[in-house]
This record gives sequence, structure tokens and C-alpha cells, in this order.
Amino acid sequence: MPVEAIASVAGTSTMEITLSKQELLRELTATQGVVERKTTIPILSNYLFEAAGDKLSLTATDLDLSLRTSCTAKVKKEGSCTIPARKLHDYVKLLPDADITIKLLENHWVSIRCGRSNTKMVGMAKSNFPSLPVFPTTGVVKIPTQILLSMIAKTGFAIASEESRYTLNGALMVLKPESITMVATDGHRLAHIERSGEKFEGVSGEMKTLVPKKAMDELKSLLDSTDADTIEFAKDDSTLFFRIGGRLLTSRQLTGQFPNYEAVLPKDVSKSIALQGTELMAAISRVAQFADERSRAVRIKLEKGELKLSASSTETGESEDSLEVDYNGDPLAIGFNAQYLLDFLKATGGTDVKLELKDAQSAGQLRPAEGEDYKYRYIVMPMRI
Amino acid sequence: MSAFPRTIFHVDMDAFFVSVEELFDSSLKGKAVVVGGQRGERGVVAAASYEARKFGVHSAMPLRTAEKLCPHAIFVNGHRERYIEYSQAVHRILTSFSPAVEMASIDEAYIDMTGTERLHGPPLRAADALHGRIKSETKLNCSIGIGGSRLMAKISSAKAKPHGLLWAIAGHEKTFLAPLDVRDIPGVGKVTEKNLQNFGIRYIGDFSRYDEAFLEEHFGKWGLALAGKSRGEDAGGWFDSEVGADSEPKSISHEHTYNQDTADVAKIEATLMRLSEMVGRRLREADLSARTIQLKLRYKDFTTITRAQTLPAATQLDTEIFEQIRRLFHKNWRKFSEVRLLGVQAAAFDEDNAQADLLDQGRRQRWRNAMLAVDRMRDKFGESSVSLAAGIKGGFRERTHENPVELRSTFGDKDKK
Repeated sequence: MPVEAIASVAGTSTMEITLSKQELLRELTATQGVVERKTTIPILSNYLFEAAGDKLSLTATDLDLSLRTSCTAKVKKEGSCTIPARKLHDYVKLLPDADITIKLLENHWVSIRCGRSNTKMVGMAKSNFPSLPVFPTTGVVKIPTQILLSMIAKTGFAIASEESRYTLNGALMVLKPESITMVATDGHRLAHIERSGEKFEGVSGEMKTLVPKKAMDELKSLLDSTDADTIEFAKDDSTLFFRIGGRLLTSRQLTGQFPNYEAVLPKDVSKSIALQGTELMAAISRVAQFADERSRAVRIKLEKGELKLSASSTETGESEDSLEVDYNGDPLAIGFNAQYLLDFLKATGGTDVKLELKDAQSAGQLRPAEGEDYKYRYIVMPMRI
Repeated sequence: MSAFPRTIFHVDMDAFFVSVEELFDSSLKGKAVVVGGQRGERGVVAAASYEARKFGVHSAMPLRTAEKLCPHAIFVNGHRERYIEYSQAVHRILTSFSPAVEMASIDEAYIDMTGTERLHGPPLRAADALHGRIKSETKLNCSIGIGGSRLMAKISSAKAKPHGLLWAIAGHEKTFLAPLDVRDIPGVGKVTEKNLQNFGIRYIGDFSRYDEAFLEEHFGKWGLALAGKSRGEDAGGWFDSEVGADSEPKSISHEHTYNQDTADVAKIEATLMRLSEMVGRRLREADLSARTIQLKLRYKDFTTITRAQTLPAATQLDTEIFEQIRRLFHKNWRKFSEVRLLGVQAAAFDEDNAQADLLDQGRRQRWRNAMLAVDRMRDKFGESSVSLAAGIKGGFRERTHENPVELRSTFGDKDKK
């Protein structure tokens, strides 16, 4: 970093800015999720503040993720400093709605003045702050914000949370010139969503990316709060970049091979039952109260004209619910983890769904009854009951 | 517990490992013999003959210490298969006397003989018959203690050694126990002994000077248990349960101490694989699946760490255990530091996973079938007949202990308080 080197040689470690509390707080709130919680490396609990031109850039990182954002500021002296992130956020929240002046003092202390409030915070040398990856200049793909947001919401919950299956600790995003697909699985269920009829410039053939769970979560909240219609996505050998409006999220790439999910998508589901999403969700929620606490197993019994749901545990008792369905095939009993079913029904927001089954040992498939613009399917492995 | 007066036998094989070795090599008879490894090797004594014990050698002592105490001893490697075979033979004889048999370890067992008088006669006659049967069928010596509780039976068998019978007649427990050292109570180790001495309790009879409230105040639940034990009652923890009642282990573990400390990753991984295999085999043997896998790692300087990982689903497969252990090792090992001891433990037993897997396409089931086939081969041709490739280099002689750690802990843990 030549710029830093010059600054320190010249001994001009200064910074002085004034900015609106509201605007600063908005960016502090947006970046809190990325600040390292476990302080094994103290500098990661700090923001890097860099003032230049007419804006302040804020950066937070936990080494896996980094988030850089900015807000307009009156820059009296250009420069940079680091400030403890959580403390600053907590403090700024409590300040009156007025302008705040931030000034770097000696020994990395930082002064924060607002109206009649005056605080000096203990910072750290900014040279300790890790250097961050640079947004690539080529291979940038524009993705519609709402599409990406919807795809994350419909797959993110299926990502494995156990560290023990680390290649499943992310979702696979597949970009093609005219479609985008996202797949997530924890080895017991798999959510798959595809949107075609789009145009992704700069994508030729197939661009596969494994997006870590942490990045998915952060991305979701950033997409939720942006006005921008599209976001920019790019990657290099080790890093993923998402530019959402004025904010830039980077994530370390997950190494390893995402499983060959196409092989597990069911091909021959012989039984298909149309169900009302809200009704099914309510019934599962009720009987699941009496499911074994750990396995969360509920039993689905399919008979002519009726779908029976039941659960039992030695501690709490047993419970049954029944739904009227249009079904004429052979009877079938199959067990599922109630939570897995509920996750999907929540993601589809109560729309009507189709449950497709083959037999008690094979994966079941859930889909929204209406195709809409997305091809969305959810595959759940049964439980032995 | 039934109100009917109980008759419990505690059968304890005399110098079991050594005696079994003597059957295979009669030249060992009457000599100072140390089982557990060769002279100069690392590791601990699994068992010592009475002759060697005279020199202060006892099990769990480092082999090198044994060598110093008893330089003329004959050092022999342990043969776990042999001990298991003989232990099973003894077990068969025991079950022919009473259905309520509980092997407390490989070489000792409790038998509930309550209500067998019409079949076997009075306790002493039954014990004599059992003693004779074991000797004639296995050629091994044992000692049998008879009492109205497990505790009395166990203390009696210890006093009957070697090759004796002792009946602690019901109603006379206090008189019998009073002159005995507190260390004669199973579970009282150095620490408790010292704490008790602070109150002037050296002999079991000394307990009668204090009331239970006092003992509870100073020793907690263990104090109450001690008060009961001093009267000859089965008080506290495992001693309370019926003989043969459900007594599943809480954990299964295997450890290995290197003869020479190593920082060679390939070697370490091979050892971890081998240990994972051993743990997996025991899990399948006991029909258990574990949710928690723990690594034990001791460095050259004896600093020891244990790190555990809880799995999303219980397992009994060597490959899955190894996967976790390997990860734990690499996450926690100080790179290039020499390792002295490695241990793999499986705990938190749970029902096998009912949730089918989407991605493994039956792989897990195939692994399980393969492992069961491997187990059958090992039963037939010995432990080292089959091994996963990664574990072949990790091959080492299994060191067997007369008092496996997990069984010892039922007693010893109380000392740690």
C-alpha cells in the first residue's frame, strides 16, 4: 500500500470530518453483521474509517466477509483511523439527531463530538487492519435485486449449519446467459430454484459459484434494504464480490465440490397430491408439538381422499390431524422431519403446493402449485418411522 | 430392590492376564511376569504376576518403572483375544449358576445368587462348586467373595485372594469391616483417603464416630455413600443397581502411546484411523451409536488436551469417526509439535439416525454392511486381519488393561469430586 506508506513516513496521520448522525448510523447498522464477534484478532472488532473527497468510507471484516460502505461527509482533513465497531454503534444510537464531528487524535484515539456530547474512543493503528480484495474490472454480471433476494429466501434455509459437512455450508449459484439457478442442501433436504428468460451479459456457458451461508445471510439483509434494481456480481480466484448500491460485500470462496445435486432430483414420482399451503402448515405445526423433540418426526398417511398427519412421543403424547385431498392411489405411510416441511411452507408464504411421493423410502418433493416465473422444487428425504 | 435377603457373589480372577499367558507358556509359572509390553517400551503395565507384585509392580504403572522395580521380570505382550476368549468361558460358567450375571470388567463379575439355595445349596457350598468348575474348565484360579451386597462381596473377594473363598455373613458386616483400612472400600483412592485422615478416619470402623449429616456436609453425596458403605450397604451410584441391570457404558475409548514421540502427520493419521476403527468396532459390538467424538492429544511435554465434536447424527462407522477425529486433530494440533499419546472416544450414545440421507445414495448403508463383514472376519482371524487402508500403518499391538478406563471410572471418578 504505497499511499499508506507515504502517509506514515510523512507523519501526517490526521483525519477530521463532520457528518449527519442519521446517515452514519444507517451505515453502522448495515455493517454490524460483518464485525467479528469473537475478538481473537482485536483489530477485527474495529471499523476502518477512511475520509477522502466528500465522503467517509467504512469497512468491517471478519476475514471471511468484508463489507465496505460510505456516506457523505464534510472532510476537513483527509485521513483514516480505526474505531471499535460495536461500541461506536451503541454510542451513536444514543446521540441526538445532529451533526457529528470525528477527529483522529494521538495514539490512535478518536474524538467524537455531537452537540454537547464529547467522547474519546480508544482506536488501534490502522496499519493492522487487513488489506481487502479489490473489485475486479472485468467479468462483472448484473443480477436483478428482487430475483436474487427471492432465490436466497427460498433456498438459504436448506444450507447445512453443521460444520462437519463444510461443502454444504453454502448455496450453489449457477449463472447461464439466460438463466440463474440456486441450490442448497444439508444432505437431508434440498431446495432448488431456477429462473429463466433473463439476460445475463458477460456470462458465457455456465458460471458456478458456491456462496457461503454467512455471505447469503448478509446479502439478504443488504438486498432487503437497497433501492437499486440490480446488483453487480464478480469473482476472482479466492473472493466473491457483490456490489449493492454504494455497498460492497466480499466473501471468501468456499473450497470444495458441491455435491452432484442433479443426480438426486427425483425423476419418477408416482403420487401427486394438491394441498393448501396454509392448511398444511397449520396441521403440521399442530401435530409437531407432539413429535419427538430431537428427530421431529411426523408421519404422513395417504389414503383415498384423505391425508393424515400424526406424531407421538413417549413424553408428550400423540396427535393427529387430517386433510381432505383428491387422491385415489394406493395407501402410503411416510415419515418426515416436521421442521423440514415447515421451512418450505414458510418460504412459499402459504401458497398452494403439490406434494409428490414415490414410496416410503424415496425422497418426497414439494412444489408451489402454480409455476409463476420461477421453477421451484424442494426435495426431502424421509425418516424411518 | 427386593426385601428378601440377598446373596451376591463377586468372582475375581487371580492375576487374570498373567494366568492366561501362563497357560500358553508354562515356563512363566511362578516367575515375575509383567504383561503389557516389552522391556524399554513405553506404555503401562496391564497386569503383573504375584511374584512381580512383591516388588511393587502393579497395573497402570509405566513399563519403565516396572523395569526399575523388578529388573528380572519377564515382559510379555498382551493378547486381548486370549483374554476375551477366557473371559467368555468364565462368563458361560457363571450364567449356568444364575441368570443374573454382570461382568464388571474382563476379569471380574457379580452374580446375584439370591434364591438359588434349593438348586445350589448354601452360599459357601455353591461358591465352592463354582470355584471348582472355573478351575477345572479353564485351569484358572479365581477368588470369590460372598456378601449381602455387591460391596460386601467385592471386599470379601479382595480379602480371599489368592484362590480363596470368603463369606461375609449377613448381620456381621460392621464387625467385619471395622478393622479394615478405608482404602479397602472400592472408590476410595488417595485423595479421599487423605481427606478422611483429616477427620481421623483411617479404618472403616472410624466412620461410626460421625453421623451422616456431618459426612454429607464435608463430602457431599459421596460422604453419604461412604457412611452407607461403612455399614456394608450398596450405597451410591452404580453400586445401587441390581446385578445384571442395564449397565450400558457412557463412553467407549481407545488410546495409543507411541514408543517414540512423533510429529509425522502420516503416522499420526494412521494411528487415529486405527483408533477410530477400534472404537467403531466396539460401538457395533455393543450396538451403540455415538453423537460425540472426542480427541485426546498428549504432547511430548505431557500437556494434554481433549477436544470434542458433536455430530448432527449418531454414528458407529469407522470412517465417520475418523473424519471427525482428523478434523479435530488438525484444528487443535500445534503444528510440528511431537505427540506422545492419542486417544479417540465416542460418547453421548443415541439411537441410530432415522433420517435418510439425500446425497449418500445408500453409501452409508453399504459402509455399515462392509464394516459388519469386517467385524466378522476379525472375530474369526484376529483384530489385525482387516484394516482400512489409512489405518494399516497405524498398526500397533493393542494394550489391554485389566481395569479398562471406562469401568474404572465408575469407582475412581468419585475421588475427583
